[in-house]
Amino acid sequence: MDVYVMGLSIHPAADVIGDTRLEEMAYRTARAALDDAGVKRAQIDHVTLAGSDEIDARGITSMLLAAPSGAYLKDEMRVTDSGLTGLLLGAMRAASGDLQLGLVVSWNQSSVVPLEDIGRMRAEPFFLRPVGLNFAIAEGLFAGAVAERHGVSEHAVAERVRLRLAAAARNPRAVKRAVPGPDAIAASPLLAHPLRSAHRPPVTDGAVAMVLASGDWVRANPQKKPLARIAGAEWSVDRYQLDGDRLASLDLFRTTLAAVLERAGLDSVDALDVVELEAQSAWADVALVDALNAGSGVAVSPSGGAWAQNPFFCTGLVHAAEAVLQVAGRAGGHQVAGARRALAHGTSGFAQQTHGFVVMEGIEA
Amino acid sequence: MKPHNVAVIGVGQTAFRSRYDGLTYPELAQEAVMLALADAKLEPGQIDAVVFSMAPTTFMGVADADKWAVDYTWARGKPFMRVHTGGATGGSALQAAHAHVASGQYGTVLVVGADRITETPDAQFVLNLIWDPFYEQDFALNTVTMTAVATQRYMHLHGTTEEQYANVVVRARRNALKNPSAHLKGAIDVAAVMNSPRISWPYKLFDICPRSAGAAAVVISNETLARERCTRPAFITGTSGVSNTVFMGDRMGPFADTDFADFAELKQAARECYRQAGITRPIREVQTVEIYDPFSSFQFPQLESLGFCESGTAQRLSDEGAFDMDGELAVNPSGGTLCTNPIGVTGLVRAAEAARQVMGRAGDMQVPNVHNALATAIGGSTQFFTVTMLSDEPRRAAA
Repeated sequence: MDVYVMGLSIHPAADVIGDTRLEEMAYRTARAALDDAGVKRAQIDHVTLAGSDEIDARGITSMLLAAPSGAYLKDEMRVTDSGLTGLLLGAMRAASGDLQLGLVVSWNQSSVVPLEDIGRMRAEPFFLRPVGLNFAIAEGLFAGAVAERHGVSEHAVAERVRLRLAAAARNPRAVKRAVPGPDAIAASPLLAHPLRSAHRPPVTDGAVAMVLASGDWVRANPQKKPLARIAGAEWSVDRYQLDGDRLASLDLFRTTLAAVLERAGLDSVDALDVVELEAQSAWADVALVDALNAGSGVAVSPSGGAWAQNPFFCTGLVHAAEAVLQVAGRAGGHQVAGARRALAHGTSGFAQQTHGFVVMEGIEA
Repeated sequence: MKPHNVAVIGVGQTAFRSRYDGLTYPELAQEAVMLALADAKLEPGQIDAVVFSMAPTTFMGVADADKWAVDYTWARGKPFMRVHTGGATGGSALQAAHAHVASGQYGTVLVVGADRITETPDAQFVLNLIWDPFYEQDFALNTVTMTAVATQRYMHLHGTTEEQYANVVVRARRNALKNPSAHLKGAIDVAAVMNSPRISWPYKLFDICPRSAGAAAVVISNETLARERCTRPAFITGTSGVSNTVFMGDRMGPFADTDFADFAELKQAARECYRQAGITRPIREVQTVEIYDPFSSFQFPQLESLGFCESGTAQRLSDEGAFDMDGELAVNPSGGTLCTNPIGVTGLVRAAEAARQVMGRAGDMQVPNVHNALATAIGGSTQFFTVTMLSDEPRRAAA
């Protein structure tokens, strides 16, 4: 893709951001991304938003969020799947020929809403809703399926929780948390067998924004230095049904991963330096890392992944921002030395119905 | 890297009516996909990616209805995203799909959506929930009262009469007689509109669109594939959009950038769309428009802001027949949104009808010799606007 990341901002994360309206979070994050890119809002010719009406408890959340996100009198559109989907669409818009410099903005303030009830309302009303499906139960079904199919053990899951939290401790943008002992993880409440509460990364509030530019804009503005090039992007959706094969096969993850590597001109996942995976449970983390099949030279989720911060709707976009920071050498305490290519991953839907990937490539000085 | 030209090669829409009790939401979406694929002479496997056009989910109460519809729309295993900009959703979804192809990322993309507004007993109650919960929801704001206020302001500025709006309804219902998919249609007169029940001044019942259920789908391809697959594709030669503040009070007065009475945002969007499409004299170069008009008062300010006539003149031109099927500009040959409004796909239906005009497939609605057809969509608190131009030839060299 001939599209570049010019600047970004990640809103300071917290379990609860209770003193700030969502509009203010979006405004501050978009403003900071523009400043990071060294461009004015007047130079932006399009904005791509990613937000969920249900999480924001509004019928059309962008009605209130568009202007503070920088879209006042701009060409704006919104996706509802995930923050990462906003990046995917924003990148295609910047590559489409008529748009040059754009903002992607996504947010999440789910501390003020019952997220599992929202999950239940996402289910179709005939079969899944009556049985009480929500995010936790879908994740529990996934955990059970990968335990049976791939032999993922509760011990491995607990160790993964501890590994991610230890990594998050080095991430300056992470919500600070203690690393629990294995016994504490094993004793945490059972949500949906075999999923325990400690197996899930805590959901946080947050927001993230990126400034994207077309290759034409970058070449016409040589004084502006990009942070990264979007070398490839792919995403796909799986079937709605939560049968064992859909949950455990991980076929969609693998095929979409292969497709994005091909887009980026990479022979294998080992051509990457960093992978930031979105996993909404440690069961998913173990299963996806196994499916990734990366060698020891690839740093997987050095940020701590969703255990660092997990603004549920836009966690994938945070990972894309972390990937940019890695290839730009700005990650901070968890910087991977010499990182040149970083893959970001995000999911949405029940038990990862969708997978999205973006390969960020560093810019030679 | 040169962008790809993009064209519509197939469209499909169900008949629109109050209810579809015999079909689930994904089954309804599937009906439109089958029609669009048949129109494009494609198999599901030839679709590279899917964009789902779905507006507020609260009408139906299933928040992930798009993901529920994945298998029914043959999207499984493919790139898939939902676009939602309120009433402008269909226009934005088509423009998002355009970006999929113009960027070179995908060759053929399906845009599909469905809506069932009457699943909720009171759509206007649901629509009240789109506003800010602290400042605005407690007012009697809904889309009817909101646009009635703007209409009053337009009438004050331009001296428009209720009868002139009624004449728009008469023309829309008459045009819809030739549209097999239209929800409302019929030969009515101005008196019938004037005598329909008062809803919110100046609106009477017939000034307001119906709540429709149905589905629509559009297939687009890059120029190479479009020319292989379609004898007369409708090229998407201009795409633009503008978003404004939600607050209507900030859209009037001496310090406002725009005025909410005249849809001035469309001037900005149209300027960009025309630049891309190479249009310099819209009234001469555009033969027909499908504009988003859920209320009878939506036509005049749009036609003026789109540059088809001077400010304050659309009402007179309408009275004189300039916007009839045989007038200077055929406005909404399908009957428009006044006759059919499945909100989540209404903008897509506008673009689909414009594309059919360019492709020569509009049946009894066909306007002769269409080279350019324009479609609009409007959403939010009349704050989201899209303008899309469909043309018989691309306006730039192929990539």
